[in-house]
Amino acid sequence: MVALGLALLAVTALTGWQATRGVEEFGAPPVSAALDPAPGSSGEAAIPIRSGGFTTPTTAPVRLSIPTVRIDAAVRPVGVDPKTGELAVPASVSSVGWYRYGPGMAANAGSLVIAGHVDGADQGVGALFRLSEIRSGARISVQGADGSVRGFRVVSREAFRKSEVPYDRLFDRNGPPRLTLVTCGGSFDRRTGSYRDNVVVTAVPVG
Amino acid sequence: MQLLRAGAVSGLAAMAGLAISAPALAAETSQNSSVYVVHGIPDQAVDVYVNGEKALSDFAPTKVAGPLDLPAGSYDIVLTKPGADPAASPLLKVDDAAVPGGENLSLVAHLSAVGAPTLTPFVNDTSNVDAGQARLIVRHTAAAPAVDVRAGGEPVFQDLANPKEAKADIAAGTVDADVVLAGTDDVVLGPTELKPAEGTATIVYAIGSAESDSLAVTSQVIAGLHSAPSGVPAGSGGLADTGPPVWWYGLLAGSVMVLLIGVGSVISRRTTRVSRQ
Repeated sequence: MVALGLALLAVTALTGWQATRGVEEFGAPPVSAALDPAPGSSGEAAIPIRSGGFTTPTTAPVRLSIPTVRIDAAVRPVGVDPKTGELAVPASVSSVGWYRYGPGMAANAGSLVIAGHVDGADQGVGALFRLSEIRSGARISVQGADGSVRGFRVVSREAFRKSEVPYDRLFDRNGPPRLTLVTCGGSFDRRTGSYRDNVVVTAVPVG
Repeated sequence: MQLLRAGAVSGLAAMAGLAISAPALAAETSQNSSVYVVHGIPDQAVDVYVNGEKALSDFAPTKVAGPLDLPAGSYDIVLTKPGADPAASPLLKVDDAAVPGGENLSLVAHLSAVGAPTLTPFVNDTSNVDAGQARLIVRHTAAAPAVDVRAGGEPVFQDLANPKEAKADIAAGTVDADVVLAGTDDVVLGPTELKPAEGTATIVYAIGSAESDSLAVTSQVIAGLHSAPSGVPAGSGGLADTGPPVWWYGLLAGSVMVLLIGVGSVISRRTTRVSRQ
């Protein structure tokens, strides 16, 4: 009887280990930490003189396409939920959100962030459901509101527990230009209705 | 020409301003300060000399220059008409203006409340704002009485007098602002559409003179004060769950139960044997 119990427990542990795949990680993003210079600093020797004006808006991405994992979604500009301070991911799980305060289509530095639901409790599978299947080297195309198209190549996929996500790096507005895709993954807590992890895919410009 | 009338102005006011508005800097004095120069005197372009060296040529009203990377220390600052001799005919002269270390400063050439050219240093608040927010700073540097600043018709900064500032962190976006005489509905400036950008400090200066009908605004933007959002909630369905499935927990509970029963029966058999002896 003891032997039977031990054997059953061993089988359980084995199947549990197999079932708990988690999200596979690969590669490394081009930066390991946010690269913020001092506020308002500039490395120029000459003293820049400006007229008292305001910054100009950037070009918004409008479509995200990753053929190898059949992702093709409308991109909407999103900001921050004032109640939580979290990214205001579009409520409709079929579209994805571009963080409009960060780098846009024309940026030559920093992280262009697009986030979307993996799924929704009432809406089913989301636009980025298959992001955890993406492979290193996969091509991503982002189309801008002005018709411009930028190509990217996947270099890494990472999974972070939500308490350990390096937000400053993901939303970095400096450093090498890159595309950062964010969704949810890992084990799901049915009590809170949320996932344990954020899945982060980083891609670098091609061409 | 108000500028010519003013002639040399004592640097004491500027020094006192710096000493008061930049406390607790002793620990940072080894670092340089970022210094902006703001031209808030109407109708007169100037050359700016720092410690006898020409730093800015033909610097036009409402313009913002900088940042200059200056080590902590005291500086002699002279403003002249373009091309004029700084020793002979200064428009404004400030000796030994103290620049602290490790700060972000705006030196503003402007008119005092009574219309005399002066130089006021402001320490810029460059602490980070929350994600989605912008910092709005308003500085009264015009020859005018105390004012209220209104956004959408509601007073947000009240009884602001020359040369003081008021500030608030607000949601980034568009603000319809105007300036009224303190406690009244008499609009002296605006309405102006302000668009404080996320992650920046937008500094708005009221400049000019009410008496000579030359009131205007100019602005300065300090970028790079942003913070990242605090989370990305992007799934609530559980369809992508990679944890063990529900049946697995049943199997685990069953295994543990069988094991416990087994251990229990072994113990009870041993107990029986011991009691027989």
